[in-house]
Amino acid sequence: MSCAESLRVQAYFDGELKSGEAGDVEEHLTQCVPCQGLLEELERTRTTLRRSLAGERASPALRARVMRALDAEESPPARARRPRAWHVRPFWIGALSGASGLAVAAAGAFLLFTAVSSNAVLEAVTDAHVRSLSSRHLIDVVSSDRHTVKPWFAGRTDVSPPVADFAAQGYRLLGGRTENLGHERAAVLVYQHGAHLINVFSWSARTPLPAQAVRSGYHMVLWKSGDIESCAVSDAGWDELNALVGLIKGVSANDTPH
Amino acid sequence: MGERRGRFEAEVLVHLDAAYRFARWLGRSEPDAEDVVQEAMLRAWRAFEDLREPDAKAWLLAIVRNCAASLHRREQRRGHVPLPEEHGPDGAAMVAPSGDPEGAVTELEQQRVLRRLLAELPEDQREVLVLREIEELNYREIAAVIGAPIGTVMSRLSRARGALKRLGSPDSKGEPLVVR
Repeated sequence: MSCAESLRVQAYFDGELKSGEAGDVEEHLTQCVPCQGLLEELERTRTTLRRSLAGERASPALRARVMRALDAEESPPARARRPRAWHVRPFWIGALSGASGLAVAAAGAFLLFTAVSSNAVLEAVTDAHVRSLSSRHLIDVVSSDRHTVKPWFAGRTDVSPPVADFAAQGYRLLGGRTENLGHERAAVLVYQHGAHLINVFSWSARTPLPAQAVRSGYHMVLWKSGDIESCAVSDAGWDELNALVGLIKGVSANDTPH
Repeated sequence: MGERRGRFEAEVLVHLDAAYRFARWLGRSEPDAEDVVQEAMLRAWRAFEDLREPDAKAWLLAIVRNCAASLHRREQRRGHVPLPEEHGPDGAAMVAPSGDPEGAVTELEQQRVLRRLLAELPEDQREVLVLREIEELNYREIAAVIGAPIGTVMSRLSRARGALKRLGSPDSKGEPLVVR
């Protein structure tokens, strides 16, 4: 590759020359053997590089992470305030239950703290619900088969909620995902009901929570089953949401504990 | 999802794979490359209004390069930074393939050799080669990403290709393809 034209041959190969100049190089190539060899080499190297290396891709986990970072960027207050409130909760509850003698004197404070902490829980759940609708991180495991979804949660979440599809009753199970709610790793089941998506969150129960709530216009129905707290969130109406919760409770009642 | 977010996903986020590959070849381990890419995407998001080019790819890759450089500065005290060739699919250490008497170089072996050769190139040559051959940027775009004149792009590209030229050539079969 000692020919003085080698850089121009390279530029020709890279499609960087205008047609006149390209013509000159083509003419040169008919006479110069080293440059013919160079052109073949360039082609071989490119083929090998592209065949072996161009297929490398970002993982789905990275994609999800970037989407969530962008979500947080789009709504900065949610990032700054809410996880912190959630983080504080177990400390208050622990302090109060440990100091039962003071409980009566602290009754007023207890109510206040409970209100603050349950509010933090509800807001964290609503945030997660809204994020799931606005990003592509709605479902990690796509399946309407409970035998696929339930084992998938094992090791990924702190709880193992009952999993069932109610397509026959109009609530189709789309799949599941996990959500970090502060320090909790919640299991989330995603149902479709007509035009509505319903997220059903489950996590270890710790905080007394209301049976229903409205946050940012979304309906929330909450219930406790053993030591699992669950919350169905959706823009669906109360009746529709309660119907799904009824179905899920029916399954939990029949589920053998393990 | 806002209108801005929609445009960002269509114009910038579509180059996520390219951003990740480039970060890897800039000498980042898998987790580091992921950190770099996330940081780069956030910076791109914040600077999205500044994007003038019709194609955001080169713009994004320039941001990735800056993020990798700042991570590298933070990290220099920690020493060794593994390159992608050290994380083969089977996790095995990189070795030059021994000479096969029949002259058969398997696809996998060739890929490993290629990764090794690429990893051993000086970084300024490697990045130019990756931008041209894998990401298919033109000279002008590469010059913009690395902040150097087009003439520099051409000479680095030529040297990088020279170092890899024996790869895949029929007469290289059976010979150990080690870097000189």
